[in-house]
Amino acid sequence: MTSPKTTVQTIHSDRIGDSYYKIQHASGLTVFVYPKEENHSAFASFAANFGSINTAFQIEGEEGVRRVPDGIAHYLEHKLFESEEGDAFLKFSKTGASANAYTSFDSTCYIVSSSENLYESLEILLSFVQDPFFTKENVAKEQGIIGQEIQMYEDDPQWKVMFNLLRNMYHTHPVRNDIAGTLESIAEITPEDLYLCYNTFYTPSSMVLAIAGKIDVDTVIGLCDRLLKNRQEKHVRRIFENEPETVLSHRVEQKLPVAIPLFQFGFKRTPGEKPASVEKIAATEILLEIMAADSSPLFRRLLDAELINETSFDTEYFEGPGYDAVFFSGESRNPDAVAQEILKEAESLRKRGISEIDFLRAKKSVYGRNVSALNSTDSIANSLASMYFSGRELFSYLEALINIEPASVFAELSSISPANSVLSVILPED
Amino acid sequence: MMHGMRRSIGKGVHFLGIQDAKFKTMRISIHFLLPLRKDTVCANAMLPFLMGRAGGDYPDFTQLSQKLDDLYGAGLNTDAGKIGDAQLLSYSITGLSSRYAFMGENMALELAGLLKGLLFHPAFENGSFKEEDIRQEKRQICELIDSDMNDKRLYARRRCEALLADGEDWGINPYGTKEGIEALTSEELLLAWKRLLTNSQVEILALGDCDTSAVEKLFEEAFSSIERKDVFSYESLPLKKERVVRHESENADVAQSKLVMGFQTGITPRDPRMAAAKVMIGMFGGTPTSKLFMNVREKLSLCYYCSAGFSGAKGILYVQSGVESRNILRVEEEVQMQLSKMKEGEFTEEEILSVKKSMRNSYTSLSDSLSALEGWYFSQSLQGSYLTPEEALEDVEKVTEEEIIEAASSVTLDTVFALVGNGGGETA
Repeated sequence: MTSPKTTVQTIHSDRIGDSYYKIQHASGLTVFVYPKEENHSAFASFAANFGSINTAFQIEGEEGVRRVPDGIAHYLEHKLFESEEGDAFLKFSKTGASANAYTSFDSTCYIVSSSENLYESLEILLSFVQDPFFTKENVAKEQGIIGQEIQMYEDDPQWKVMFNLLRNMYHTHPVRNDIAGTLESIAEITPEDLYLCYNTFYTPSSMVLAIAGKIDVDTVIGLCDRLLKNRQEKHVRRIFENEPETVLSHRVEQKLPVAIPLFQFGFKRTPGEKPASVEKIAATEILLEIMAADSSPLFRRLLDAELINETSFDTEYFEGPGYDAVFFSGESRNPDAVAQEILKEAESLRKRGISEIDFLRAKKSVYGRNVSALNSTDSIANSLASMYFSGRELFSYLEALINIEPASVFAELSSISPANSVLSVILPED
Repeated sequence: MMHGMRRSIGKGVHFLGIQDAKFKTMRISIHFLLPLRKDTVCANAMLPFLMGRAGGDYPDFTQLSQKLDDLYGAGLNTDAGKIGDAQLLSYSITGLSSRYAFMGENMALELAGLLKGLLFHPAFENGSFKEEDIRQEKRQICELIDSDMNDKRLYARRRCEALLADGEDWGINPYGTKEGIEALTSEELLLAWKRLLTNSQVEILALGDCDTSAVEKLFEEAFSSIERKDVFSYESLPLKKERVVRHESENADVAQSKLVMGFQTGITPRDPRMAAAKVMIGMFGGTPTSKLFMNVREKLSLCYYCSAGFSGAKGILYVQSGVESRNILRVEEEVQMQLSKMKEGEFTEEEILSVKKSMRNSYTSLSDSLSALEGWYFSQSLQGSYLTPEEALEDVEKVTEEEIIEAASSVTLDTVFALVGNGGGETA
């Protein structure tokens, strides 16, 4: 049951010396306010727990499963900026705020950064996101624009190397599909589809508002009281078909106009029923750091063998609803040799175990980077919003990093094995 | 926040410290400026890579990386770039404030000391850079030059820039050429290192939750041990050429074509028309309510992006767009048409106000980010006038309609480059 009263909870970190507020607003929306009094601006993200992977869902009270075209979350993001009275950008231009939006696999975020007319800008943000206006004409008009956005990504080798990997790692999970869809799928999108998705997923309980910077919590609550609409909640089940634990193929390559091959080497892991805990994320991040940071023996071997370069080699922990993987990526004259070395290192680490000194060093490094990220209001607001959708909390993550034990890190190593690996390679054209 | 003063701490060496405890980190940067010339560009470009790899008390790559990890994942960034007629070699380190260090380490001294060691005591063997380090960094800088091609938007812009420069030094790649890099000897690199410390203009900035005076003292002492002479002093002249508009194109196996239009303005940061030029460019193509966005994208649905950006050091205005091949000409014509509207004063008071407000928003937000603050004050140090963002805003507010028209009138199309696509590659 939604409480009819607004409640405010303070979340404090002794270690960091910062506090933020978690507000359960009477409308049903959860709002985070992370004040930084000495800043000159604030950054806000109004986000919906609706991304490119949510193309099949069942609404409570309905018999069948609804299926919508690939790319619809992103299309909706573009179209929400329009209303009957015109473009949201025109409204923001009166406050000077810088506004934007982005769609990821599991969410859509509408963001604004503003200094002098912050509350006016917030008002515009809250209003336009709650005011859909989709017509046949304005939906058709967007096809050319998004079509060019899709084409732009088609030419981006980093983007291609990742999606080629995902398409060979996942059999059915929609994380394998391009976030913006395809030229064909977006041609099918109708105003009715957009309203259906809007009414299903843009409801207080599946949205969040997160603001960080020069901001007063009471003024934010006042704005919410005035502007947040009481919307009918729809209980919706997000549907994902059964995803096997295996991968489709272990290797995929594509030729593109690049001068040096690009690779992404990924390991598919079994996702839990619930989103990964802060402890699991901390353990995986530290494992990747121990295995492949600049200071690691693996990095040095690859560098000395001229197989990678310092600029491009990187790792990523990639997880969300129904998917969980780790990636190693970069440029290399010989991606297959890099992949072999990574597997060898995992094997060797399994045998020799994690040394105390490597563990502490990796922990310090990951901790430092995470504390540093709290300088940035963008990073804070975006993290608060995305962690909320995954049931995680910002300061608990830092504590998890500090308290992690080597054994938990070691346990994550088992997923790095050839059986669940995919190597995606982009090769230069002949 | 304290707005520090830029102070001379040696011949052609300047220091600016801005201490602000609202940040959880600090950032210490040293920028070296030298003439951008074909005969020295490669050796200079190698230095940030060689010296960012090892040095001081950490003679190899792994030891240096471990030290950075031990300093709570401190970030060391070294790079070569260019501004106008100068080559820029930058060394930056960012790290946690002492209050978050487990043992209360003095992070300013740790980070500045590390940076100083890398600059003044490179990892030498027999008096020069190690052959193995040279070989490794030559390979990596060549790969970096190659990887330019991966980003087609950037690639098209660089091609347009090269055409605009037409063989003049300011157009050369600040990483040099692969052939030039391959041919470098350790003697040339040693000379380049000496040149870096002896002849360049040096701008040091320390910002954030940082004991800036300790950092200042450290570098003042370090530079006093160098006999500084023939010191370079940055200045940049605008591109000004009488010539007919040139069209060049190149075919590529890509899905989307890239159009880059390069315009001369004759306006550089020291020009009194600069503030008006910035407002004009914002109205023309700098915001989501600009003429280019509202017309080329929103009205005609021809592209996802079409925007104008200013390369102030040479006074060049670039318009960039990603389009379908068959629409290249249409976009070019539409851009010209929107520009003529700016020249003829076909814009509203609202359009002016909206760009001024957007500039106010970004200028006042600058002080919330260490890298933005550094970027601001570093560019101010090259401009003769040394303004705070607030002072610069006063100039922006004063810009009149007539001045905007005047700035627009100085814009002339010089070079159009198109990377023409064919629909894209195939998955094997």
